[in-house]
Amino acid sequence: MLLAVIAEALTFYYVKAFAVQSTVILTLAMSQAVAVAVFYMQLKDEPGSVRLFALVGMMFLSALLIAMVASLG
Amino acid sequence: MGLLYFFSSLYFGVVGAILALLLRVQLSVPNNDFLQAAYYNQAVTMHGLIMIFWFLSPLGIALFNYLVPLQIGAKDLAFPRLNALTFWLFLAGGLMAVLSFFVPGGAAAAGWTSYEPLAGPVFSPGPGPTLTYLGLMMMAASVTVGSVNFIATILWLRKPGMKLLQMPMFTWFALFTVVAMLFAFPSIIAAFLLVLSDRLLGTVLYAPPSVLGVPGIDPSLLWDDLFWFFGHPEVYIVLLPAFGVIADLTPAFTGRPLAGKNWILLSTAVIVLPISFGVWMHHMFLTGIPSLLQEVFDASTEVISIPFGIIVIMFILSMVRGRVQFKTPFLFVIGALVLFIIGGIMGVFLSSPVLDRVFYGSYFVVSHFHYVMVGATIFGLFAGIYYWLPRMTGKMFSEKLGRLHFILSFVGFNILYAPMMLMSDMPRRIFTYQSIGDWAQLNGIATIGAFIFAGAQIVIAYNLLHTWFRGTPSGPNPWSSEDLEWSSPAEGATPAVHVESEPAGGWIGQLSSAASVSPATGGGESYSAGVAGHEVHLSSRPLTLSVGVMLFLTGAALYPGILPMGLMLLGVVIVGYSMVGWAWDDIRDRFTGPPEMEGGDRWPFDAVSKIKLGMWVFLSSEMVLFGTLLGAYVFIREAALQWPAAGSVHDIPLATANTLVLVTSGFTMVMAIYAIRKGDMRGLLAWLAATFVLGSVFIGVKMSEWAGLVSGPTPFVPGSTNAVTAIAASVYYVIVGLHGAHVVAGLIILVYLMKKTTKGGYTKERHEAIENFALYWAFVEIVWCFVFPLFYLL
Repeated sequence: MLLAVIAEALTFYYVKAFAVQSTVILTLAMSQAVAVAVFYMQLKDEPGSVRLFALVGMMFLSALLIAMVASLG
Repeated sequence: MGLLYFFSSLYFGVVGAILALLLRVQLSVPNNDFLQAAYYNQAVTMHGLIMIFWFLSPLGIALFNYLVPLQIGAKDLAFPRLNALTFWLFLAGGLMAVLSFFVPGGAAAAGWTSYEPLAGPVFSPGPGPTLTYLGLMMMAASVTVGSVNFIATILWLRKPGMKLLQMPMFTWFALFTVVAMLFAFPSIIAAFLLVLSDRLLGTVLYAPPSVLGVPGIDPSLLWDDLFWFFGHPEVYIVLLPAFGVIADLTPAFTGRPLAGKNWILLSTAVIVLPISFGVWMHHMFLTGIPSLLQEVFDASTEVISIPFGIIVIMFILSMVRGRVQFKTPFLFVIGALVLFIIGGIMGVFLSSPVLDRVFYGSYFVVSHFHYVMVGATIFGLFAGIYYWLPRMTGKMFSEKLGRLHFILSFVGFNILYAPMMLMSDMPRRIFTYQSIGDWAQLNGIATIGAFIFAGAQIVIAYNLLHTWFRGTPSGPNPWSSEDLEWSSPAEGATPAVHVESEPAGGWIGQLSSAASVSPATGGGESYSAGVAGHEVHLSSRPLTLSVGVMLFLTGAALYPGILPMGLMLLGVVIVGYSMVGWAWDDIRDRFTGPPEMEGGDRWPFDAVSKIKLGMWVFLSSEMVLFGTLLGAYVFIREAALQWPAAGSVHDIPLATANTLVLVTSGFTMVMAIYAIRKGDMRGLLAWLAATFVLGSVFIGVKMSEWAGLVSGPTPFVPGSTNAVTAIAASVYYVIVGLHGAHVVAGLIILVYLMKKTTKGGYTKERHEAIENFALYWAFVEIVWCFVFPLFYLL
C-alpha cells in the first residue's frame, strides 16, 4: 500500500504524458482500493452474499458515472 | 413505531392535501388571483415534496414497521434504537420543511424537482428553501438508516424455517423497496449536499453560467443527472409497498394462491435492481443529451413496462381464477390496479423522445405521475390500512363507510386527473392562465374532482376513529389469512409460535399442527421467551439527538443573527449530550437489542453477524454516495474547458506524506483486530491509540493545508474572482471536507472504543464493534485512494 502511494507520486512527477499518467495513477488507486477491501476489510473471507452488496452498489454507480459523462456529449 | 409513522405521515398528508386544494382553487378559473405567483410556487413545490417524502413513502414505511417483524416472526427490527432514530429524523425533517413557510421569504418555490440553478441561492434566495432542503437531508439520512435496519431485519431475523421464498409477499416488497432506497437516496443526498454547500458555505457548484462563467460547465445538467438517478427509482420506492399490499391481499380475497408468485418476485427484482436505475435520462430528453443516449433510455424505459406487465397480468389472473370477495380492502386493490394501468400506459408514451417533446411540461405529465404515484400507491395503501386495521385495533371497520370511501375516492380521483390527460397543450408550471380552448372547463372539472377526492378522506378518517373507539370486535383473523401476522393477538404481541417450516396450508395452518408448533413460553425454544416488550431498548437518545440536529440545522438555515446562533449552540449541546449518552448507555450495556433467535433462517447471510451485515449494507450506501460525488467532480472536470494545473495548487509531497499516514492507520486498525482476536487487551488499546494518533495527524495536516490554501498569495477559495479557481475550490472543499468529516467521526468512535476497552468491554470472544469499526475505517481509506489522485495528482 505504501509503495503504491509512493508510486503514484513518482508517476505524477516523472510521467508527463497525461493519458499514461492518469492511466497508471488510476490503476494504482484502484489496486489500493481493492487491496484494502480484500485484506483490511477481509472481503476475501466473507460469503459471496456480502460481496454481492458491494457489487450491486458498484453496478449502479457505474451506470450513473458512464451516463453522466456521456450526457456531456 | 409503526403507528407513530402512520399518524405522522397522515399529518403531513393533510398538509400536502391542503396545499393541493389551494392550487386547484387557484386554477379552477382563468385569470384567478386567489394565490399570487410566489405563493402558488411555494404551494406547488411544498405539495410535491411533502407528499412524496413525508406522506406516500412514509405511509408504506409505517406498514413495514408494523408488519414486517410480525410477518417474519421477529420480535422487533434488528436495531430498535436506530429505528427510533429513523422516525425522529423523519419527523424533525418534515417539521423543518413545514416551518419554512413561516420564515422570511417563504418556503422553497422552485418545484419539487428543485432544478438548478433555479433552486440555488441566486434565483431562490432566503432561508426558507435552505430549511426545506436541510429537512430533506434529515429525511434522506433517516431513509438510509432505515434501509439498513430493514435489510438486516428481513435477511437476519426470520423465524426458523422461513426461507426467503416463503416470506409473505408484503415483506418481499418491503425488501425490494428498501434495497431501492439504499442505492437511490445517496444520489439525492449528494445532489442536495452540493446545493446546501452553495447556499450555506458560499460554494459555486451550481452557479448559473451568467454569474460564474466557467466555460463549458452547465450546472443544470449535473443536477438533472444526480436528481433523476434518484428521482425515477423513487417512483418505485413509493409504489412498491402498495404492490406488496396487493400481492398479500389477493389470495385472501380471491380464495386461491397468488398466480405466478415467483414470476412476480422475479419481475420486481428485475425492476428494482437493474432497470429502475437505468431509465432516469428519459426525464432529460429535452436537455440536449446526445441522441444515442436518448435512444438507449427510450429502449430501457419501454423495457421496464414488460416486468410491470407481467406483475399486473398475474394479479388479474389471480382474480380471474379465484372467487373475488368485493370487500372494502379488495375494492381498493382493484382501484389501485386500474389506476396503475391507466398511468402506466401514459408513461409508455412519455418514454418516446419524440412524443416527450409534445407532452413534456404539460398537464399530461401531471396526470401520468399522479395516476401512478398517487392513484396506484394511495389506493393500494388504503387497501392495506383497511385490511390490517383489525390486526392493529382488534376491531372491524364499517364496511358501508369503507365502500363509500372507495366510491368517492375513485370517482373523485378520476374527475380530478382524467381531464388533465386532455390538457396536453397546457403548460403545467404556470400559476394562472388565459381562457384558451377548453382549459377553463377542464380545470373547473378537475377542481371539483379534487374536492370530492379530498372530501372522501373525511370518510376514512371518521371510519378509522370510529373503529378505534367504538368498533365491533373483529376476531383474531377476520380475513382467514394464512400469513403469520394474524397468528398473534391484535394488541401487538409477537407471534407466540415457533415456526419450523411452512406447511401446505400456510403459516396459520401450521398453528393447528401440534407437531410443528411449540409454545413461545415454557418450551424455551422461542427467542421471545422472557422478553416483555419494547422496554428492553426504550431510549430517549434518538429523540434528543434528532431534536439537537433539527435545532442546529434550523439555526444554520436562519443564520446570521443572535437567535440562529443560539439555536445552533443549543443544537450542538443537545447533540453532544445525546451522543455521549448513547455511547455511555452502550458502555454500561444498558440496553439490549431484540434477542437473537436460535436456528433462525438467515440464508444467505448465515455466516455473517447481524451488525456486520448492517455495516456492510451501510457501507454499500456510502460507496454510492462518495461515488456519486466523485462522479460529479469528474463531470465538472470533463465539462470545464479550463482547470488549475495539477500540482499548481496543492503541496504534493505533503499530501503524499499525509496519504501514507492514513494508509498506515488502516494497518494499525487491522493490527487492533488481530490483538483482540488473541485476547491481548493491551495490544488492542495500543493499536487503537496508534490509529487515533495517525487519524488525528491526518486531520491536523489537512487543516493546516486548508489554512494555507485559504490564506496563500492567490487564495484557493470558492469566492475567488477567478471563475475556474472558484469552481475548483468549491468541489475540492465539499468532497475532501466530507471525507474529513468521516475521518473525524471515526476519531470520535475510536475514543468510545478505547474507553470501552479500558472498561473491559471487549473480550477475545466478544469484540464485534472493533471488527465493524475496522470496516468503516478501511472504507474511509478506500475513499481517499480515489480522492488523493483525482484532486491532487491529475
